[in-house]
Amino acid sequence: MFIRALWPALLTLITGCAGPALLQQSWPPGTSDSIELTSTPFYPQQDYECGPAALATVLSAALQENGTAVVPDALVAEVYVPDRKGSLQPEIVAAARKRGLVVYPVRPALEDLVAQLAAGQPVLVLQNLGLKSLPVWHYAVVIGADETAEDVVLRSGTVRRRVESSGDFMRRWSLAGRWGIVTLQPGVLPANPDWPVYLRAVADLEASGASQGAGRAYEAALASDPGLAAARFGLANVRYAAGQLEQASSLYASLAGDPEFSVAALNNLANIRIDQGCLEHADAALDRAQARAGVASSLAAALSSTRERLIRAMNGVGPAPPGHCTALHP
Amino acid sequence: MSIRIVRFWAVTLMVSIFNLSLCHTAAATVIGTGEAMSSVARAEHLSAVEAVLARADVQTVLEAHGVTTDDAMARVAALSDEELIALQQEFDQMPAGGISLLAVLGITFVVLMVLELTGVINIFNKF
Repeated sequence: MFIRALWPALLTLITGCAGPALLQQSWPPGTSDSIELTSTPFYPQQDYECGPAALATVLSAALQENGTAVVPDALVAEVYVPDRKGSLQPEIVAAARKRGLVVYPVRPALEDLVAQLAAGQPVLVLQNLGLKSLPVWHYAVVIGADETAEDVVLRSGTVRRRVESSGDFMRRWSLAGRWGIVTLQPGVLPANPDWPVYLRAVADLEASGASQGAGRAYEAALASDPGLAAARFGLANVRYAAGQLEQASSLYASLAGDPEFSVAALNNLANIRIDQGCLEHADAALDRAQARAGVASSLAAALSSTRERLIRAMNGVGPAPPGHCTALHP
Repeated sequence: MSIRIVRFWAVTLMVSIFNLSLCHTAAATVIGTGEAMSSVARAEHLSAVEAVLARADVQTVLEAHGVTTDDAMARVAALSDEELIALQQEFDQMPAGGISLLAVLGITFVVLMVLELTGVINIFNKF
């Protein structure tokens, strides 16, 4: 085991080689050959608290424009697990989201990491500074990279500017599953977004109660690619929750033929029509939703609750006043 | 605190949260964004009841690992379904970033020193 662990070092000694040109191979075209986000704040870690320190670094960087700074001490109660003497990834993500940010996991590739830096986003990463069988887990923030020097710059622990060779960095990052996140203000998109991943992050933000922020993020996604059905559906839900029924219903109606979101969109549209007292329209939308859903759909339960709600409404009220519903979408 | 008191509070809390979520479910005819996405991706989505149980589970685990009750409650409330499932199922295997140097003392210290000096690892200087 020791021999195998020592092998890279021996190899370097024997060949005198500086290691593979990892950054050179993954450098995005059209990017200057050295990036460093020097204005990224620095919070030296105390004891085992590299999680709160690294998290405070990216949160403060993202919230800088608002004049907000987040100090590590404020995060200890949210992400530190005393008996594990460290912080867990899901709680790091949740704590960032709680501050109204979209938490986007980067792709597990150096190329994507550099692309995020080039877009101005520091990346919070998990590293294993030890061995595979003897892990030493550590959170740090990547703030820069240099294509010609083949090194990566981090805010790490108690070191403001830690420089690691690209080979060392990749080994430590790979041993930790190449996990990394950027924390984005709603409306700011990551570089080369993986849309399903990004929109899932926005949906999580929406579910946490930050509906307005999520709305801005959906809008930014749609501005970049109007064909994103998930973003359209999310934006419709945000509008509905804000009581903007007409905006919501035209968004839902635009998804009525979508292969993935039509059932959910028609169901929610039916709910708006019930709200408005246009029960025939609600009935028509719900029929279309149920025809498309099939029995095994995981949304079947929601559809039948909507059906029950519609029946209750039909039994409870008389017909809508004439003209009230004629201008509506089907 | 005796086990009986802990159990009493746990049950009281679960019942009250459970009632809250039932009221919520009764009105939930609108499909949320995450729920619709999960149905598209065939990903796991917790029902209201499952989510309550998972939250109670994870809260208990956090408290057992030294987090105060108030903090643990606030922390589980901030988690998404997927994060809850991950913590519920993998808490003990999950890497806890934090560098626990004390845990690797003893014999391993010598091993690490050798590796450190040869440049294979880098944990002792300036993290």
